[in-house]
Amino acid sequence: MIDYHALAPELLLAGTVLAVLTVDLLRVEKYWVAVVGLFGLFLSFIPVLTLGFCDTLTFCEDTGTRFLFGESYAVDSFSLVLKALFLGSAFVAVLLSVGYLESDRFWQGEFYFLMLSSVLGAVVMASSRDLVTIFVALELVTGPTFLMAGWRKGDPRSNEAMLKFFIIGVLSAALLLFGMSLVYGTTGELTFAGIRAEAAGIRGGDLEALFTVGVLFTLLGFAFKVSAVPFHFWTPDTYEGSPTPVTAYLSVVSKTAGFVGLLAICYLAFRDATFLWGPALWVLAAASMTVGNLAALRQTNIVRLLGYSSIAQGGFILVPFGAAVAAGVTDVQLEEAFFATVTYLLIYAFMNLGAFAVIIAGGNRLRSAEIGDWAGMFGYAPGLATMLAVFFFSLAGIPPLAGWFAKFVMFRAVLSVGGGWAAALAIIAAVNSVIAFVYYAKVVKSAFMDPAPEHVAVADLARMPTVPSLQFALVLTVAGVIVLGIFPGIIAEIGELTKTFASGF
Amino acid sequence: MTGWETLLTAAIKVAVAFALLLSLTIVLVWFERKIVADMQNRLGPTRAGPYGMLQTVADGVKLLFKESVTPRRVEFALYIAAPIAALVPALLIFLVIPIGRPFTLGDRVIDLAGTDLNVAVLYVLALSSLAVYAVVLAGWSSGSKYPLLGAVRASAQMISYEAAMGLALVPVILFTGTTSIRAIVDAQAGEFLSFLGIWNIVLVPSFLIFFIAGVAETNRAPFDLVEAESEIVGGYHTEYSGFRFALFFLAEYINIFNISALTTTLFLGGWHGPTFGAPEWLAWVFPIVWFFVKTVALVFVFVWIRASLPRMRYDQLMQFGWKRLIPLTLVWIILSTVAIGFRRFGAPWG
Amino acid sequence: MVAVTAGDWFSTPENYVFLAIALPLVFAGWRVVTSSNVVHAVLYLVGALGGSAALFLLLGAEFVAWAVVLVYIGAVVVLFLFGIMITRAPIGVEVELSHPLRVRISAALVSGALFVLIAIAALTAFGSESIPEAEVTRTADIGQSIFERFVIPFEVVSVVLLAALVGGIVIARRDPSPEEIAAGKETL
Repeated sequence: MIDYHALAPELLLAGTVLAVLTVDLLRVEKYWVAVVGLFGLFLSFIPVLTLGFCDTLTFCEDTGTRFLFGESYAVDSFSLVLKALFLGSAFVAVLLSVGYLESDRFWQGEFYFLMLSSVLGAVVMASSRDLVTIFVALELVTGPTFLMAGWRKGDPRSNEAMLKFFIIGVLSAALLLFGMSLVYGTTGELTFAGIRAEAAGIRGGDLEALFTVGVLFTLLGFAFKVSAVPFHFWTPDTYEGSPTPVTAYLSVVSKTAGFVGLLAICYLAFRDATFLWGPALWVLAAASMTVGNLAALRQTNIVRLLGYSSIAQGGFILVPFGAAVAAGVTDVQLEEAFFATVTYLLIYAFMNLGAFAVIIAGGNRLRSAEIGDWAGMFGYAPGLATMLAVFFFSLAGIPPLAGWFAKFVMFRAVLSVGGGWAAALAIIAAVNSVIAFVYYAKVVKSAFMDPAPEHVAVADLARMPTVPSLQFALVLTVAGVIVLGIFPGIIAEIGELTKTFASGF
Repeated sequence: MTGWETLLTAAIKVAVAFALLLSLTIVLVWFERKIVADMQNRLGPTRAGPYGMLQTVADGVKLLFKESVTPRRVEFALYIAAPIAALVPALLIFLVIPIGRPFTLGDRVIDLAGTDLNVAVLYVLALSSLAVYAVVLAGWSSGSKYPLLGAVRASAQMISYEAAMGLALVPVILFTGTTSIRAIVDAQAGEFLSFLGIWNIVLVPSFLIFFIAGVAETNRAPFDLVEAESEIVGGYHTEYSGFRFALFFLAEYINIFNISALTTTLFLGGWHGPTFGAPEWLAWVFPIVWFFVKTVALVFVFVWIRASLPRMRYDQLMQFGWKRLIPLTLVWIILSTVAIGFRRFGAPWG
Repeated sequence: MVAVTAGDWFSTPENYVFLAIALPLVFAGWRVVTSSNVVHAVLYLVGALGGSAALFLLLGAEFVAWAVVLVYIGAVVVLFLFGIMITRAPIGVEVELSHPLRVRISAALVSGALFVLIAIAALTAFGSESIPEAEVTRTADIGQSIFERFVIPFEVVSVVLLAALVGGIVIARRDPSPEEIAAGKETL
């Protein structure tokens, strides 16, 4: 029998997807579509909790990891944590979209439908433990986002964003699939556990070369998805051209989904091939941090700046992977690296969504994304400017905001491995943290210290309210960033859970 | 059977099928002209041969000897390929249709079908979906506007109705539990009221949808906008003449026969029918007769429809296909799945 | 799997069938990307897909083979042709599609290097093995595995398709004008 409790989040979310489509057909205010979507997200969050706290609940019998469909679908603490992350981020992303979509002529119902479909893909992805499921789930994550990127139909930049994103996305999917086909061809297995078992026998044999090619292509495919340098060139244009809530969604949910795939593939399927993915991801991590940060320094458009910033943050998230470059890396160190990546992803979701919430709120007033126009925001919108400072400093990693803890575990993971290469990566990361601080601080300084430009009608802007949904999103994210920054124990606790995943195999 | 025997029987079957289809076309064209004439109170062909039966032969001979005009702006390779692309799938589809009971020759059992495939239903759908290439290629390579318009209409129409056609077969496959055409025919054997088999026609909506979509697939009236003379001359084959036109014409009639034969096979019990207690040496004749009787009856329906219904408007065609036929098919699939589930597994609560 | 030597290769009839399929397939694939006429490129794509369907048949995968014909050749590529014809896209020779020589050379180098890499890897891996005699797969077995082992990917794909359908229509359709919205005829 199928364990319906284990599948409940997916089933509820799938139901929500269809419900959203149905509500859109009714002649009601499109606002209600979003409400249904939010409610559905909340509803599918409940089984995530019941599954997570299964051992303390009376009606819940099975505890521990649940495997479905022959080890190809697993519900364990790692997948539950990530599901919670995806559902939560999607909740905020929907909140960000409401005001934005109301502000201009957009197709609204379909937008929420696409966004929730994409979330469904991410939720499935967290549990995927075989190549077919993970690929199909990844396609469900990215497929709808291609369309959402082009949602400003009249805007050529949005069209460009959609097209670039689509073409690169298809290319990366092809690479990924090709790599997976080689991995399947050489190991004869689809499940990660099976691949890991088979891969041991491949070392040193005839199949090793082809297997290596397969692994590298698979990594390459995911590198596009997480926009790691040098596979990032679509990112700034897509982020800038897409509707801003879509950008927020892309930079958090879609990107995290890519990292989840990378985590599952690297730590489960290719666990014994650290010598393959370690160096490859070391290079990607170093390049992403450096290129992302250096390019961000020169940006004048705040969305583009966050685009490059998210490339750089992606580099930081990749750092613990790169730490596996050292020969003879132990299981404990790998677990630490795994923990660091998951922790970073959790915190990154809060602060990046928050940063985008501020940008959307500011953009609503200013109708401009030029950093120059944001100067003097403290004068007329002190609350918003403060939040801008909170999120940007958190992204920069300043205590007591959550970002510091993310950076801290990242450094701890890479330093615990030790050795020249890991140390070099740590140094690169440290230098980059400093560079990042420069451009984050520059924006904050401009918002607080500089006078508002003359064409900005300060008096009018001061009276403009922030949309309630956006306020809600801001409160959620600010609370998250501050609470997690001051009590990082919470997130450490959650991250700790996922270690069982890394050690479980 | 040894390899050579297999090869030989295959070659004979293909040759027979080819000859059969060609001669059938000749008969069918005459048949259609006579019926339509009758329905319109005319005489139809009367001169060539008894009852004008040789009229089609005469027409065919004329087309063969007529000059094949090649307009200046054609893409020659594709222009030539198009009629062939029309004919080949039509001929290939017929190969999986059993026209009679298998008969024994010495110790060998020979199927009265070109071949049988595990996935014959899929094969039929796949090949009928290729027919659209002939239309598109003809329209595009002619380098002229009416053919292009005809081709655009045709491809839209064929894609639309193909979906309904394929979906209509889903309940049949569920009902019989197989995708092999031979097995589907076998599943319809058996006696009901001592002479009727339990035919798949009990899936009435499937039967109707399949047949309607089949009419549309063959671009016949009332779905013949593809070659609506009053609007776009001859449609995609405007620029074809002589032998090349004859190939299109041939393909069209073979397709009509194929659709009728498929409907017979899938819904009307194929070659099954009463043999009236005939002795064994004669018994194999009846199935063939039954098969052709049923098929020709369906061809008659084709002609009947053509003679009675006016041509649809293009938007009506699309509306009918997408907004009526396909949703209806989907609802029917759900209903029949439930019913078949009950039949096979019993009530979930029982 | 049985190890084979070069001598065996020429004595196995399947290999000639394979060559007869594979060589046109490669040629068609090459022409897909080099044709300067869009319609020709699409038709070569048909050839390439037909070749891959034939290879599936050779491997005994009847269902996949006919599914490729039905879905790709019969529907997807037809829609390409259809799209080319109903949009105002140029349907003749398209010179602008050709990149400058510099780009073409580097593209050729990259793909050539990749080809050599994969070919060498594949040859070392499987070069000395022959494919075991293919058993024709039963459609029922495919259905069984789709609805049991692979039911999650199967359902996920259905959501992908639904999303693509809905999103594609939104992107492609004409937006109602503000007047139409104000008049209540259309909604967004």
